[in-house]
Amino acid sequence: MKILDFADKLNLDPLYEASKDIEVEGVYIGDLLSIVMSKAKKNYAWITIQTHINTVAVAELLELACIIVVENMEVEEETLDKARELNIPVFKTKASAYEIAAKLYEIGIK
Amino acid sequence: MKEISMHILDIAMNSISAGAKLIEIIIEESKNNNLIKIILKDNGHGMSDDTIKKAADPFYTTRTTRKVGLGIPLLKEACERCNGYFNINSEIGKGTTIECTFERDNIDRAPIGNIGDTIITIINSLDNCELLYKYITDEKSFVLSTLEVRNILEATDIKSSDILLWIKEYVSENTKTMSDY
Repeated sequence: MKILDFADKLNLDPLYEASKDIEVEGVYIGDLLSIVMSKAKKNYAWITIQTHINTVAVAELLELACIIVVENMEVEEETLDKARELNIPVFKTKASAYEIAAKLYEIGIK
Repeated sequence: MKEISMHILDIAMNSISAGAKLIEIIIEESKNNNLIKIILKDNGHGMSDDTIKKAADPFYTTRTTRKVGLGIPLLKEACERCNGYFNINSEIGKGTTIECTFERDNIDRAPIGNIGDTIITIINSLDNCELLYKYITDEKSFVLSTLEVRNILEATDIKSSDILLWIKEYVSENTKTMSDY
């Protein structure tokens, strides 16, 4: 499933919609960046409550498809600036990580 | 980096890469001041002011070389999340000192972790370099010096498994943190 289609189905608010609309190949949920670095894979969507600029560094490093910030966490402007610079999509939702995961399962990402 | 000891290991490896001859690791844990302070000091080749500024920037390394990694940015973030601070002082040719703090009772503060394991992992990676480890609380202070261990044992090499195992237990026993959940 393509990022935009995926974001639309999950009702995510785009904080930065990158110009790339790549295929999401998997999902990882995690808030401890070092663990995410060792577990998430290329083209994965990453669900987290973290909003620090380091999240963009992790997304860039692993070539993740996008960052999905849950629980309506405030995202720092610095983080979004870097996401724009590197063309990494960032979405936000007030849903919890569990709710998003459950929806993902429903729309067929298993 | 589930534990503070993993951050310590990560930064100590930078000191080894920097060609340090002496690495000091100091953990100060104060219940009275509600503070955990970590000081990592080396006499390696040091960094320029420009490099210091970039060290805490995750994009300095991830985009060009992977020499330093996300280690410093992650530690800085962990400290700041716990209302602490993170500071680097460095001088070319003299060495680098990192000082950082965590609010001790902060719910997001990671446990100190297995410091005995961390210390022997560092000792095992040392090459012509000494390690000085201190653990200081409101009541007591504990010091382990590889130079002293070497002198007492009259051994040039302390990387044998029985010595390392003994150091590990000695350090762990004397770093019984009052704080770990």
